[in-house]
Amino acid sequence: MQSTINVAVMVKLEPDLSEGNVSYNPDGTLNRSQTRSILGPHSAIATRASFYSKVLYDANIKVCTMGPPMADIALRQALEICNADELHLYSDRAFAGADTLATAETIKAGIRKMGSIDLVIGGHRAVDGETGQTGPQVAWKLGFNFLGNVIDYSIDSANRIIHAERLIEIQGLYNILEEVECPLPALITIDPSYRERYNTVSQRLKYIKLQKEAMKKAENYKQYLKVWSAKELGVDTRSVGLPGSPTIVYKVEKVPRAKASRQTRIIDVSKDSELKELGMRLLEILNSK
Amino acid sequence: MKYEHLFVFFEHDDGNPANVSFEMLGEARRLMDEFNRKYSRNEKVIAIILGHNIKSLCERAIHAGADAVIYADHPELRYPRIMVDTKIICSLVRDRQTVAKVVETSEDYVKPRYMFFGADAIGRHLSATVLAELESGLASDVNKLLVDDVTITHEHKTKGKQEKYEKILFMYRPDFSGFLWTQILCLDNKNPEIAREYSPQACSIIPGVFQPIIDSSRKGKIVEYEPTFSGKDLKIRIVKREIIKSEVPLEDSRIVVAFGRGIKDSPESNIKLIEQFANTLDAEIAISLPLSKQPYSISQSLKSTYFIPARVVGTSGKKIKPKVYVAIGISGATQHIVGMKDSEFVVSINPDPDAPIKDESDIYIQGRMEDVLPLLLDSIKKIKEGGN
Amino acid sequence: MEKYDVAIIGGGSAGLAALMELSKLGLQAVVLEGAKPVGSKSVTGGILYSKNYRNAKVYNVEEVYKNFLDDAPVERRITGYYLNAVSENKVYTVDLTDAHNYQTNFAYSVLMVRMNKWFAAQAEEEAQKNGGGIVSGVHVSDIVWENSKTIVQTDELEPIQVNAVVAADGVNSEAALMTGARKKFDVEALYQGVKSVIRLPEDIIDERYGLKEGEGVAHLFAGDISRGHNGGGFIYTNKETLSVGLVYHLDSLIKSPIEPYTLLDSFLTIPQVSNYIKDEVPFVKEFDRDLPKEEQLRMKFGISKLLKSWEELRYTYYSKTARRKAIESRLYKSEEELRHRLDETRKELEEKFRVSFVTNYVELEYSAKLVPDGKRALMDKPYKNNVLFVGDAAGRGVFVGTRIEGINIGIDDAARAARAIARAKEHNDYSEEYMGRYYGELINESPYTDDIRKIDFEYLKIFVNACKEIPTESLNLFLRLGFMLLQKATVQDFARAITKMLDQRTLLALIETNEAYVKIPMEVAEKIGRTVNPDYKIKPPSIDERIAKIRINDDPEPHIKILDPNSRFIKSMVQLCPTKCYIMEILDKERFKSEVVLQHEGCIECGTCSKETDWKHPKGEKGVTYEYG
Repeated sequence: MQSTINVAVMVKLEPDLSEGNVSYNPDGTLNRSQTRSILGPHSAIATRASFYSKVLYDANIKVCTMGPPMADIALRQALEICNADELHLYSDRAFAGADTLATAETIKAGIRKMGSIDLVIGGHRAVDGETGQTGPQVAWKLGFNFLGNVIDYSIDSANRIIHAERLIEIQGLYNILEEVECPLPALITIDPSYRERYNTVSQRLKYIKLQKEAMKKAENYKQYLKVWSAKELGVDTRSVGLPGSPTIVYKVEKVPRAKASRQTRIIDVSKDSELKELGMRLLEILNSK
Repeated sequence: MKYEHLFVFFEHDDGNPANVSFEMLGEARRLMDEFNRKYSRNEKVIAIILGHNIKSLCERAIHAGADAVIYADHPELRYPRIMVDTKIICSLVRDRQTVAKVVETSEDYVKPRYMFFGADAIGRHLSATVLAELESGLASDVNKLLVDDVTITHEHKTKGKQEKYEKILFMYRPDFSGFLWTQILCLDNKNPEIAREYSPQACSIIPGVFQPIIDSSRKGKIVEYEPTFSGKDLKIRIVKREIIKSEVPLEDSRIVVAFGRGIKDSPESNIKLIEQFANTLDAEIAISLPLSKQPYSISQSLKSTYFIPARVVGTSGKKIKPKVYVAIGISGATQHIVGMKDSEFVVSINPDPDAPIKDESDIYIQGRMEDVLPLLLDSIKKIKEGGN
Repeated sequence: MEKYDVAIIGGGSAGLAALMELSKLGLQAVVLEGAKPVGSKSVTGGILYSKNYRNAKVYNVEEVYKNFLDDAPVERRITGYYLNAVSENKVYTVDLTDAHNYQTNFAYSVLMVRMNKWFAAQAEEEAQKNGGGIVSGVHVSDIVWENSKTIVQTDELEPIQVNAVVAADGVNSEAALMTGARKKFDVEALYQGVKSVIRLPEDIIDERYGLKEGEGVAHLFAGDISRGHNGGGFIYTNKETLSVGLVYHLDSLIKSPIEPYTLLDSFLTIPQVSNYIKDEVPFVKEFDRDLPKEEQLRMKFGISKLLKSWEELRYTYYSKTARRKAIESRLYKSEEELRHRLDETRKELEEKFRVSFVTNYVELEYSAKLVPDGKRALMDKPYKNNVLFVGDAAGRGVFVGTRIEGINIGIDDAARAARAIARAKEHNDYSEEYMGRYYGELINESPYTDDIRKIDFEYLKIFVNACKEIPTESLNLFLRLGFMLLQKATVQDFARAITKMLDQRTLLALIETNEAYVKIPMEVAEKIGRTVNPDYKIKPPSIDERIAKIRINDDPEPHIKILDPNSRFIKSMVQLCPTKCYIMEILDKERFKSEVVLQHEGCIECGTCSKETDWKHPKGEKGVTYEYG
């Protein structure tokens, strides 16, 4: 008799940066009030990855996020994707203004409150300025094994082992495909190139069935939602939110632009001088920093 | 001083160093030279290298700007593994004795002042776990750094009072839109209710941003650190590891020469010409999407070398931004433009002056590649010979 | 290996009906469909009929899907059916509504992708009761028989074992070739169709075509419309769109090749047609290129957002249902407020972003499809081993003059296939002799089979009656004779007379002449047509713009291979491929050596080139995905 796999998913509400939805201020900064927020694309991938464990292992899934009350939209969208069993929103003024370390502290506390968790799944990073660090920091704080850049995984539920494939891109060197395994509990973050593989007809059929069920559940998502305050989570308010953040955003400035747009110059190759000039220019650019 | 020195985590894979390691050390060198001058101090750049049979890397780290190297050599450390690596890095940087072995270090040393990691698949996550363990702040994806003092008033950090912070690392990270630069500072809490010191001030650095230094006359101390770890640090087991080959490093190339359907009049000889041109400029060769479908009858070896998806630039291929992009016989379908429009300098060669690629070019040459390339090649060769 | 009762290849309207009927009969059936979402590679002209035969049973859509009449996302109920004879700006319109209503319960204009989505939802729910369902995004690569087991293989999933297979994979059926049940259709047995879905607000359609809410019309066109090729044009009104296109004999086209989109463009340019489709279209001027890039980007985002809301407002304002809903849900207080908002948004676009509004039309989707001409394509034996062919895959479609039916036939076939399989299950005998032959019998009992094979003279008489205003001297001798006879004699007399004279094939050859398609209608239009002048100059999008709009998920592995790059047929594909996938490449200028090459990127899987290529659909989820169909 196999025991249930308990999965937690960390997601984030982010501005929808797709064309036609995003709004900018005259200075080129994001107009947040005009831009609608959605479940971030990397969070959506992480959620999809969790659904895989539901289809294959009948996992119990709890999705969590930290954010303002309206962040429950992200949880609802996640529920639609993964047919979650519970939704957890960590929402308290005390959490506001957190950097990664302080965010990780809150989420760690939240996941501890979930009871026994075998696997935590997070996204690669957020699109609106987060860093891809929350996942590993939560893992470290929980004392879970951490695997990043996961593109595929499977679980041996009898031996409580996760087997994962990771894509490690080392710029200027090469890419590595690494197969690893480690005992549960573990925290994994999902690479954008993650593609779930449902290899049999029955898995596909189950996928569809659970997905349909998820859409129904999403209509009454509040029924599955629990909102947690700092007090309920039992966190020390000095270690979360602004007070718990080592870093601050000191200033935001415009990136100086090297050039506005291209001015096309037409070169006549029959003229030696123009050819030479182009050649010099090319070599000069290539030799510059 | 409780917090001293700049520690750089030197990234490599099984002894093959990542470019970002040298770039970080170059920037670290410049930053600490400036720091020592400005504050009349003598703090050092220390590289940390974990691995197996990696002694040769230590010297290279010194040449690249490190004052000293502390390395740990163990078969279990051959490949990056985040849990055990985190543990070793943290105990290493907190071990005053070890640090004192390589550089002059205060008696009350506790932790590093600054730390650098690469913002890639290894460093990004490792920086996070290390700083979670060291309980300090981290800025990710940084592309500009400077050290300065700063006086601020902050609700929590200073409880609304004005306070001066010294030797603060200004970490600049570009915003997702590319329009904005955010300056991130890691500051102690001087608010008496939540007083706390945060060190090191750490960041991960975007690969390809900073210039490396290579100076083989540089000298420095290299010391081995004996790591201690147990089975519970080694729970992640690497089952299989495969370097993905046949990958064409278009993204890393400073210059890319791309060709399209314009080679059609005589594919074989045109490709030869393009090869020569690319070799002269040390360029990587790319293609437009239609060519990946191998529309021409050409030799099998050319097919398998060039007419492959890994060389495609565009929406269904790679998005690249080299310093120089040369588009030869490419008309410039939107799908292609998307892949190359961020190139710094674009040259296009095309017989059709209405081809959309023209408007995406800094330099446009009207003509067939058969006619233009030999002239251009010749001219560049001459300049090169003359220049030397 | 996983086992299922039935695998259904293809999730179009026929495949989904098979799933529905099999599931109702208690079988565990699985649809295997390449497109994702299911049915999104399907295209129709198109009208979905429910038929009413006096002496025979057909399985109509509302019988297969019980809630069809209440729930289905049909477009408009067709209440008028017209044939327009065209010559330049002269048009003569024949009202064929009576002929259209002949043996018809109802007919709806439909957009196939939306329709399929609804069919799929119904069928899936039913199938889940037996543990069956729909698996989309998988491409069936082979069917093999091993030790009395039938194994269906796909590119994507582990193989499954089944007792029977329903092949509903369309006109370019790969199942037909895998099983050897038939060869590829001859070009003489095929039509090529091109279509564009054109957007137009609901109220404007109602007004322009003189319709009440929910009503729709079909306009067919003949004469001066396809540059002399044998074929016809059509406009079907949908709720907020029009389906506008052409269908013509593929062999006629191969004889004198011309690009399908050129034909479509010249059809759209016919004054009658362009007046039917015109609309008010925003025209965005190019940005000042000297502006900084971020400024240009900001403008682009600003405009696209505002245009989006202008469109939303306009389509809400000009739609009875949307307007009602918006006011009910308190989005707007009143019609006036909505109007005001619409005007304001338009003003902002004009003033702030220098957008102007011009008369043109809005093309949403360009598509193309092969249509099997049942008269010549019909499979005599629509089964092989335990594989049953339905709908387009079996070459079944009624295509006689102005009578055009396909979807309803596929649905009827599917219901018959389901019954044959259910009976086979009862007797545990899925052999060709037992199950296949029985299916063949059921198919022969279908009145559609007669309609495909024979001309229904009752229908013809109604048709001829509608044409009584047409002066018979424009007709050739044979047709004139027919007209006269039909108007005077009883049907039985006529039928007897004709069948004595001619067999079916000869008859068809006589009717489907260039004269009938082109010359006679032109003559009629010139003689008795009214003059229609165009209100504006239409600007159809270029084929490149059209292709750019189609969603194609490129399969890196080529799914089509040219067999002989120098054959006449393949050379004609340079013109006939609706998305310009074939290109003549000059290999050697001096020796005038050239060769046809194929680039797959724009392939919409119509199959026009199938005859002389190694042709497959792309792998699952790859290839074209239509939004409307």
